[in-house]
Amino acid sequence: MTLQTTGILPRLGHGVGKSADAVTAFLLVQPILVTMGGLVFYPLVDTAWDSLHRVNPMQPGTPFVGLANYTRMFSDREVGQAWLNTFRYVGICVLAETVFGVLAAALINQLRTGRRWVLAAIVLPWALPGVVSGVIWQWIFSPGPGLLNGLLVMLGFDYEGHLWFNDATSAMLGICTVHVWRMMPLTIVIVLAAMQTIPGELYEAARMDGASRLVMFRNITLPLIRGAIAVAMTNATVQAFNLFDEAIVLARNSVETRTILIQIYLEAFKKFNFSYGMALSLTVTFVSLAISLGYVLRIHRTTRLD
Amino acid sequence: MKEPRYVRVAVWAGVALLLLWSLVPIYWTLASSLTPTVEFNQRPIHLFPQQPTFQHYFRLLGVLDGRLGGVDVASGFRLALFNSIVTAGAATVLCVLMSLLAAYAFARLEFPGRGLLFSAVVATLAVPGYAVLIPLFRLMVSLHQIDAYLGVTLIYVSAFLPLSLWLLKGVMDSLPRSLEDAARIDGAGHMRILFSIIAPIAAPGLTSAAILTFIGAWGQYVVPLVFSPKNTKPLTVLIPEFAGKNFVDYGLIMAGGSIAIVVPCLLVVVLNRYLIAGLLAGSTK
Amino acid sequence: MRLKSDLILACAAMLMTTTGGVALADDAKPFAGQTISVLLPSPQDANMAADFEKATGIKLDLQTASWDDVSVKVSTALLAGTAPADVTEFDWSWTGQFSAADWYTPLNDTIDAATLEDIKGSTIFNVGGNVLAIPYTNDFRVMLVNKKHFDDAGVTAMPKTLDELVAAAKAIKEKGIVKYPVGLPLSATEGASTSWYLLTKAFGGDLFDKEMKPMFTAPDSAGYKAMAFEMMLLKEGLVDPASTGLKDSEINETMFAKGLTSIMISGEPGRLGQFNDPAQSVVGGQVQAIPVATESGKTRSFGLLEGLGIPRNAQNPDAAKEFIKWMTSKDFQIHNYSNGVLPTRTSALAELQKQGMLVSGEALVEQAPTVEALFPAGAPTWYPQFSLAVNTSINSAAKGEITVDQAVQRIADAVTEAMKQ
Repeated sequence: MTLQTTGILPRLGHGVGKSADAVTAFLLVQPILVTMGGLVFYPLVDTAWDSLHRVNPMQPGTPFVGLANYTRMFSDREVGQAWLNTFRYVGICVLAETVFGVLAAALINQLRTGRRWVLAAIVLPWALPGVVSGVIWQWIFSPGPGLLNGLLVMLGFDYEGHLWFNDATSAMLGICTVHVWRMMPLTIVIVLAAMQTIPGELYEAARMDGASRLVMFRNITLPLIRGAIAVAMTNATVQAFNLFDEAIVLARNSVETRTILIQIYLEAFKKFNFSYGMALSLTVTFVSLAISLGYVLRIHRTTRLD
Repeated sequence: MKEPRYVRVAVWAGVALLLLWSLVPIYWTLASSLTPTVEFNQRPIHLFPQQPTFQHYFRLLGVLDGRLGGVDVASGFRLALFNSIVTAGAATVLCVLMSLLAAYAFARLEFPGRGLLFSAVVATLAVPGYAVLIPLFRLMVSLHQIDAYLGVTLIYVSAFLPLSLWLLKGVMDSLPRSLEDAARIDGAGHMRILFSIIAPIAAPGLTSAAILTFIGAWGQYVVPLVFSPKNTKPLTVLIPEFAGKNFVDYGLIMAGGSIAIVVPCLLVVVLNRYLIAGLLAGSTK
Repeated sequence: MRLKSDLILACAAMLMTTTGGVALADDAKPFAGQTISVLLPSPQDANMAADFEKATGIKLDLQTASWDDVSVKVSTALLAGTAPADVTEFDWSWTGQFSAADWYTPLNDTIDAATLEDIKGSTIFNVGGNVLAIPYTNDFRVMLVNKKHFDDAGVTAMPKTLDELVAAAKAIKEKGIVKYPVGLPLSATEGASTSWYLLTKAFGGDLFDKEMKPMFTAPDSAGYKAMAFEMMLLKEGLVDPASTGLKDSEINETMFAKGLTSIMISGEPGRLGQFNDPAQSVVGGQVQAIPVATESGKTRSFGLLEGLGIPRNAQNPDAAKEFIKWMTSKDFQIHNYSNGVLPTRTSALAELQKQGMLVSGEALVEQAPTVEALFPAGAPTWYPQFSLAVNTSINSAAKGEITVDQAVQRIADAVTEAMKQ
């Protein structure tokens, strides 16, 4: 693929001026247009259309109901609780993943030997199939034969038979722990790649000026990886808004820990309030985007690269 | 420029902590995979299996004949492993390639609607799978792509394109144009510049995009549950089947999970060399 | 001369029988060569596909999924307007919804009067005269006990009333045999809901009256008493506090099968085989089923049957019907018992009992006639909301977040809310 392109596209790329560029660009962007258009935008339009109607297989017809599906969520107690829980998860998880993720990436960046093994090890939580991860963490938190209680008891604390999921707060923290465990590698990989594109000369120059490591980190590394941090934070936000597996496996359907995605699943696929579920899922999309936009804009405003 | 001792120690301590955090549950997965069925859920818990056994692995790999009901475990597992590798691999190659081409267009070329299109594609990052599941299913049924490799691979591509594109565009935006301008003056076309000059420098970005896409696709569950019910069933969907209604075969689940993490692990080990800086050296003439 | 006519006659006779024979063989397998797809939870019988093809000539494309995922796959395909397979699993709890959505073909012509009589559970899947599925696994509830624990505690008689049950549990706990003798899920899962339904039946009442009005909100109602009973068991230390996080299957496998608990309130007869399997359990030979103990002493139970149905858009419905007939036949049901699937045919159960192969046969045979439908008119369309409200309320009450009054009220409110839609 590398060098034959000059043969295949003989005139492309050699043309000068905007229109030639536009044609090249159109061709380059074509695959994405087709894929995203067909597999995401088109279904989204379908979903949006459904959300404006009452689509319930148990009831005849699909009458237009306008924004009824959207206003309904304001009076729905369960949905309200699910939103509240989800915002809490997002807050905790994004913070933890970003802070610890950046630190971890910085640490790995310092390694000279064995980096690929450390990286491979870091990636394992993310690579482990969800169901296996669920079972393992269930075992870790298990009150009787659980690893966590066992270790705490060994260390002398009285945690015999402690139930981590009986209390709503500790249940949430438990779920967040598992989610962060699984998702932090994503942040690490994104940020590490960005750290690697920082030219070594910058650090050299700073070192010769006598800057300490902390100063170098704050003045060189952080600003230059800001873009990557924005990407990582956005991704973490979206993933946290879509928290599902961890909550279902560890706390099942309990209302106190239920996330909005679980609620969507229940509404659309169990209760068959399909269009309501679709309206909820579109709302999740917009809310998570809005929040992400918040930090993306903020970070890009404070970063100017030449 | 020598590094003080305490810094090295601190770094290694930090890394050790990180490894501990990441690997304790993995260790337990491995230990459980070597535990005979009767020992599961015993109290008090043991950190090492009392009587380690390879029987679960043997059943998965066909050394021992194992059937779980109507499913031949070994051939099912082999197929699932193959399916996971093929779909995740193909999705990665396609996704990274498409993102590379498009990122170049977004970063370097002027065309109408550039900003809007980029934002629209990246924004789909936030779309939950359930929002598009049913319309997508209808689409795939009409294209006869249920239980076919192409359909599900393309769905994975569409899921990871936004992130991949965003990353690569970001990488390209921060590359100094001096190199490309030099090459353009020499008469090189867009494609030449992209593949000979930009791609090598953007290697860390490409690598991270590849890792993200591969592991993301590797771990997909709901999509293949619906779109890959039989012949294209991947590991993530097969392993839960070891939990039957009346009996959960933890040994098989853990062994399956242990094997499932080997492939992404290997990928990272192999791709690690591209995640290194220094390819900028000697590029300015 | 006669020899020649004899020969002709003989040839003619042979010809007729062979052609007649060939024609008969074709009649026996009218669908030979066709293929049908079947979606069932794993695991299924090891040789199902081979045996079915041998019997009917129809090729079987067997798709399996874990039990939780089967409903996802079925719903998704049906919501998208396609058939998940020619034959699918059809759980009793889906009856209301699926009949309202008109997703399944009535099977009235597949099931003759004799079969209907033999498979008593088919009434559960009969909505408005349409039989939407034919039950193939007979999950009615009994109580499972660890006889050895009882013997060790000096309790010789199996409890027939709930008071006797509590007394036995207390005796076992006092003797220190196990810490938490009663196995009862209190988590936000379906198992917690069905346990409560059973206890409501045990307290002599029902969940809803004929107009589907809740009957469990008054403190003297069976449902209220059942909920209070569960909380009492928890408070008195007879039920493990960890049950707020355990599914029924987990309690069966990690506690009952390991000898850590003595009485499964909502016991599944299909598990009896696995408790005797040394690879999975340490209580082999100690487990026994007893009829459900009730407040009055007169046993009652209900069924959680799973059936086989044919979606309306199925590609090959006629051949699919053959599969249903084959899988619910007496012979296959007797064979499938070895896989832990309790037959739905009374005749099959009787046959197994006669052969002495039915584990805890006496108890099962005693329980079988007392099995009622939970919802006589079929599961309502709002069953999922109801069940969710039940188990989340039980879960909250068990965690001490709400009282029993609030719990039953929450469930009633959820029903009212659901019925409005």
